[in-house]
This record gives sequence, structure tokens and C-alpha cells, in this order.
Amino acid sequence: METMTYSTQDIWTWWLAAYLYFGGLGAATLSITFLTDMYCRANPRLVLWGAISGVGMLALSSLVLFGHLLHHVAVIYVINPMVLFQEPQAWIAWGTQFILWMMVWGTLYAVPYMRESPAFLRLPLLGTLLQTRFAIWLSGCCQKRRRIVGWLATINGIGTAVYTGLVIQSFPAVALWHNPGVPLLFTVSAFSTAFAYLLIVLYLGKPSEHHELLTRRYELFDLILIATELVILFSFFNYTLSGSESGYRSAQLLWHDMGWLVGFMGLGLIVPFLLNLKGVVKGWSTSIPTIAASVLVLIGGYLLRHYFMYTGVYAYPW
Amino acid sequence: MTRYAMVIDLNTCVGCNACMAACAMENQTPVWKNKWRTYVHDKEIGMAEQVRRRFFPRLCNHCSNPPCMTVCPTGATYQRADGIVMIDPERCMGCRACAMACPYDARYEVSYHDIKEGRAFYGEEELQRDSPGMDKCSFCAHRVDKGLKPACVETCVGSARLFGDLDDPNDPVAQVVASGAAQPLMAYLGTRPNVYYINDMKRRG
Repeated sequence: METMTYSTQDIWTWWLAAYLYFGGLGAATLSITFLTDMYCRANPRLVLWGAISGVGMLALSSLVLFGHLLHHVAVIYVINPMVLFQEPQAWIAWGTQFILWMMVWGTLYAVPYMRESPAFLRLPLLGTLLQTRFAIWLSGCCQKRRRIVGWLATINGIGTAVYTGLVIQSFPAVALWHNPGVPLLFTVSAFSTAFAYLLIVLYLGKPSEHHELLTRRYELFDLILIATELVILFSFFNYTLSGSESGYRSAQLLWHDMGWLVGFMGLGLIVPFLLNLKGVVKGWSTSIPTIAASVLVLIGGYLLRHYFMYTGVYAYPW
Repeated sequence: MTRYAMVIDLNTCVGCNACMAACAMENQTPVWKNKWRTYVHDKEIGMAEQVRRRFFPRLCNHCSNPPCMTVCPTGATYQRADGIVMIDPERCMGCRACAMACPYDARYEVSYHDIKEGRAFYGEEELQRDSPGMDKCSFCAHRVDKGLKPACVETCVGSARLFGDLDDPNDPVAQVVASGAAQPLMAYLGTRPNVYYINDMKRRG
């Protein structure tokens, strides 16, 4: 048809961007924490902080989505694990299961550490629960099968991070979303923001025995991930410049917007990249630049999803 | 097998919007917030004395490869053997992923508030829907099952809408589609739409 109408959408807006952001951040935080604990150095404080905040972020993400549903009772169909056999083609079904099981395995992994923590045992309700016979048995089981529990959590965490990209990739009409780069970009961003978050936790918390080793490694990983994100975004820039009118219109919206250019690309990626690069190569005499870089990465992570949701363009032939 | 499809002739649509009204009454759509199962776009085309109006009816394309069904996590969106894409309102949790996936802007939401409004608008006894969720055209499946045509086709004064079976070689719809005179929208997306349009541009030059 000769006529066209171009339109952005107002169906999945900032709340969905928040859902994708906290889902990816929480899942990646848990995965990194458990992998560090299993293969780098056992670190109870990191596990406790990572598990509590990670599960908290996943719960917040789920609540945001749940709150915006039109028919709350029908959510029972996606909570049921059988949904993976009934609707295996729907990424939201996978994502819901990943998030739910991530919270379960994430909590179980942290239970033995909670039982060893005097602060947790002193907590009013949780402290009593942790000292019950069931909690002692559960903690023993999780301790004995620590790596199995850790890997189950990690697999669900990676699944959640990839899902946050796959869910918007499954919308075929919008070129910005419907391409293989989106899951990759969102996964890299989820892990980058999680490293940034854990760096803040490490720097603001009481320094542990392996503080220096961990922070150096996390800074290096974050630097690599930010660089990867920049490369992916550069390829997105080229991809959207031609090929489809939908993609081109998205490019016009994105690359002419100061919030995207200065806010996300500049302050959310390039500035933290340079700060981390200096930290990794020469080191900083204070932790402030690294903390500042991490805060910027966290803000940038949200902005990425926010702008992605708002600049997807539908091309209607009427 | 039966495979239902619709052909819309843009040459004969006069933009009377009777299809919208008939559909709204038949399917109790939330007209109070300007949401319709079928909508007729009114667009000016051309410049200066060449300018003219084009009326463009749109609705769910009942795709053979429907992206709205692929993304639906609860199975609320399903396809009948005759190709009609339906929504089970009881199963729909209203995540709106289907509306995001639809390239034809065919879906809209029905909230708790809309159901309350609907009771006042269509009548407490008459309102068929009692749970919120997503909604869209069903090719008037309840009418089709009784051997009737969809309400929009039945009411169209310009006979701009034809409804029929693509798998029946004697059906006029199948013949028009087979002739190539009617084309689907955005076929390159791979959705295999079953609503076809006869273009008005070539004839009007």
C-alpha cells in the first residue's frame, strides 16, 4: 500500500523497562555472586548481600509486572511449571519460570550462610525460623549440594538475563527489537550492571579478606562488558540506519535524543568505561571514581531499556 | 478444510463507518474509549487539486502464523482449525504481549473499569464479558458458526468487504485472492495474514 503511518507504542512503557531492568540486574547479581563463591573464594558476606538484594530485585521486577496485569487471577497459568510444556514458544512463560526458580535456588544457596550469620539469627522472625529443625536439615542439604544448588541458580539467572532480551525480540513488527542483537545486548547489560552493583556493595561494605582481589576482578569484567556493549550498540547504530523504515525511524529517535546520547551513551557507558579503564590499568588512590562509575552504569542500564521501549517504531500501511 | 479470509476493496469503501458500529454492537467493544475491533482510517492523499480521501478499514488479520499467539504465555490466544484466531478471556492475564507483537494494531485492552462501563453501556444482563484482558476481532466466529457472515460484512453498504473460504475454489474470495488482485498487508513479516486488500491507487491514478 502507498500510505504509511509510523507510530511508537504506549502499551509497554517505563514500568516494563523497570521489569526488564530489575529482572536482568537481580538475576545477574545472583549468578555472579554464586559463581564467585563457588569458584573464586568462599565469601559469606557477598553471598548474603548478593542473594538478598538479587532476590529482592527479582521480586520487585515480578511485582511490577504483576501489578500491571489486567486479569491478576489468570497469572496462575504462568506460575504453574507445566506452562513450559503447554506454551514452550512463549518467552514470558520461560521468563516467569526462570525468575521464580532463580528466587528459590538463590534463597536456598544462601540458607547455610544465613544460619552462620549472627546478625541473621538475631532477626525477629527469620532468626527463629532459621533455628527450626527443618531449617537445620535444609541448610545441611544445601551445604552438601552447594554446587548443584549454585549451578541451578546460575542457569536460571543466565536464562532470566537472556529472556529480558528475547521477550522484546519476539515482536516482529519493530526492527529495533526483532533482531538477534537484542538478547545479546540485554544480557551483556544485565551482567555489566550486576558487576557495578556488586562493586558498590564491596566498596561500601566492611572490607573482607579478599576485597582487593575481588574488586580488581569485578572492575576488569565490568570494563570488558562495557566495551562489548559499546561494540554491540555501534552495530545497532549501523543496522538501524538502513534496511527498514521501522529501524530507520527508531535510529532517528534514538540518535537525536540527548537523553540517549549524553545520558546513556556518554554518562552511562563511555565515562564509566574511561574511569574503569584508568582503575584497571593504573589504579585509583580512592574508591570514589569506581563507585561513581558503578552508579553511572546502573543508571545507564535502566536508560537503555527505557529508550528501547519508547523508540520501537511500528510502520502501519494505512 | 475451511480457511476463512476477508477481502477488502478499497475502491468501494465509502467511509460510512457502519462496519464499526455493527461490530461494536455485535461484540460489545469499549467504544467509550475509542477502541474498536475494526476501524476505518480516513486519510487525505495527494496534493493541491489532486487531493482525495482514502478510507482504509483494518481489523485482526487472522494470520496463519500469528505472532500474537506465539508470545501468549497462558495459551489464551489460540487458533481454530478454520484459521480464526481467538482469545479465551478467562485464560488471558492481560500482559499485553500480544498487542506488542501484532503488526496490525488489532488488539486493545479491556480493564475492570471497562467491564463496569460496559454494564452501564450495553446493559447489566446483556454484557457477555465478565473478566478483563485483551480483545480483538474474531471474524464474528459465533455468527460464522451459525452460517452467518461477520457483522461488518453483513452491514457494508458498498460491498467493500467479502468473507469466504480460501480452500473453496468456487468461493469468490478464493478466486479474487488467487487472481492476485487482492494482496495481504506486510506479507514480508512472515505472519501469513488472511485479510486481503484490493488497492484503489492504480484505478484512480
